[in-house]
Amino acid sequence: MTTLPLTTGRLTSGGAAARPGAWRAGLRQSLRAEWTKLVSLRSTRWTLLITVVGALLVTFLSTHGALHHSRGWYRGFDPTNQSLAGLAIGSLTLGVLGVLAMSGEYGTGTIRSSLAAMPRRGALLTAKVVLVGLGTLVIGEALGFILFFEGQAVLAGGAPTASLGQPGVLRAVALSGAFLALFALLGLGIGTVIRHTAGAIAVFAGCTLLASILLSSISESIARFAPEFIFANSVAAVVHSGDSLSVTIGIVLMLAYCAIALGLGAVLLNRRDA
Amino acid sequence: MIVTRGLTKRYGKTVAVDDLSFTVSPGVVTGFLGPNGSGKSTTMRMVLGLDVPDAGSAYVNGSAYADLSWPLREVGALLDAKAFHPGRSARNHLRWLAQTNDIPPARVDTVLDIVGLTAVAERRAGKFSLGMGQRLGIASALLGDPGVLLFDEPVNGLDPEGIRWVRHLLRDLASEGRTVLVSSHLINEMALTAERLVVIGRGTLIAETSVDDFTSRHQSDAVRIVTPTPQRFVAALSRAGARPSVGDDGAIVASGLSSVDIGELAAQHALTVHELTPLRASLEDVFMELTSTSVVYRAHTADEAAASDALPVR
Repeated sequence: MTTLPLTTGRLTSGGAAARPGAWRAGLRQSLRAEWTKLVSLRSTRWTLLITVVGALLVTFLSTHGALHHSRGWYRGFDPTNQSLAGLAIGSLTLGVLGVLAMSGEYGTGTIRSSLAAMPRRGALLTAKVVLVGLGTLVIGEALGFILFFEGQAVLAGGAPTASLGQPGVLRAVALSGAFLALFALLGLGIGTVIRHTAGAIAVFAGCTLLASILLSSISESIARFAPEFIFANSVAAVVHSGDSLSVTIGIVLMLAYCAIALGLGAVLLNRRDA
Repeated sequence: MIVTRGLTKRYGKTVAVDDLSFTVSPGVVTGFLGPNGSGKSTTMRMVLGLDVPDAGSAYVNGSAYADLSWPLREVGALLDAKAFHPGRSARNHLRWLAQTNDIPPARVDTVLDIVGLTAVAERRAGKFSLGMGQRLGIASALLGDPGVLLFDEPVNGLDPEGIRWVRHLLRDLASEGRTVLVSSHLINEMALTAERLVVIGRGTLIAETSVDDFTSRHQSDAVRIVTPTPQRFVAALSRAGARPSVGDDGAIVASGLSSVDIGELAAQHALTVHELTPLRASLEDVFMELTSTSVVYRAHTADEAAASDALPVR
């Protein structure tokens, strides 16, 4: 490599002279930077691809398996819920996306660059919360409606179907998509607390998937408090079973989980050395 | 200007930085010198607000780092070669960094050009060699065109060409009136680059001085003498007030008299001299001597190991 002429200008003549407007680096700057971070990583694109392909596949299998059964089999059948089965994939993959948004910074050392550039650590976490939350909200909503229509198209081949005009259907589809964003935020909170990617993903999977599977085997009355259980049986359901929480309580509970994880993360982020 | 006052950091029972106070002024390169593990990196992280001190404080241009309005425009830092995501290209890394402080995007291309990474700007940083990673770190430090720069072991992993380049870069940055603090565990590297020195060992300040002063103050004045009549020579030296000692190879090493005085002495007493060599302690020797009591990780020499392992024979 050849020695290059130095073109570092003086502070005043350099390209970094202060611009009018903002008086100091804050949330607005962090939001732009975090967006660049998010879209400039291949892992983000891969995660989204896996989410979409996986969700389409699971919904196809779930609805296809519900075709051509006896009349009695369809008692209590919820075509909406059946078509939203693929969102379970999204709850995992987007949760991992949320974990990586923070733990990835620690794993690679990027966090030191991030905090040197933005020493007001709350702004960094807030920017991540806003972008991860809004990004996964858009993806979740789009995915929810796509899966609903995919599922109904498959079910039309030989099973009861639902339409958005029926009572509770639009609500279930729209809230389910939004619920994915809460999984991503829960992941972000856990990633901020745990900081190590592998450990944080393990804890996230434990809190979501494992909790609902394990607790279900013990007692449904405990399992209904698990995020994945709330998702499948309260939020994404039009026909509710006796044990599941109401939609409102389910969502409030999930918001509380996110608030706890993110709140603890914020406290630790401010307190710990980077 | 960087100022630390009573900076202290403990990890459990280990004191990494102990009541450290020093000032780094603009316009000259200041070397931050100490053996590995002496607390240089910890100190730099505390200056940047990444680690919170247990006591004391650090100020950059009179403010705590966290209070700087546009941190990257006031302070640039190369902390270690791996403060970037391996999956992101060099350009994208610099792009998001620029956005955090409203630095114009054109500045990204400028710093890529300064460090010579323009050709590989789109390549994922994870594919970079250690030296290229170091250049990307330097580009990050220069991004905001800051008046204060901290470099932690910047020549690590660089080839001789790169080392020369960094040396020139640091001096040029200082000559533009910037404050430049460069850490190193290699005194000879610092002697070539720095004008002032902050020397620490085990987290405490050993010296805060200029390189010239450091060298002259700690220079020894020993002279090596080879002679066929060492006993007579030693006797003569002792009478003349020198402090001679005879080494394993039979040569005398005397301190307290200059080589000129010793030559005159030999002529007076008609002593044969085969060799008369002034021994100038290298900067490295001085540094080793000063920090010998404060080295954390010391390798034992083969002789020491043999001595401690040796069992009495018979």
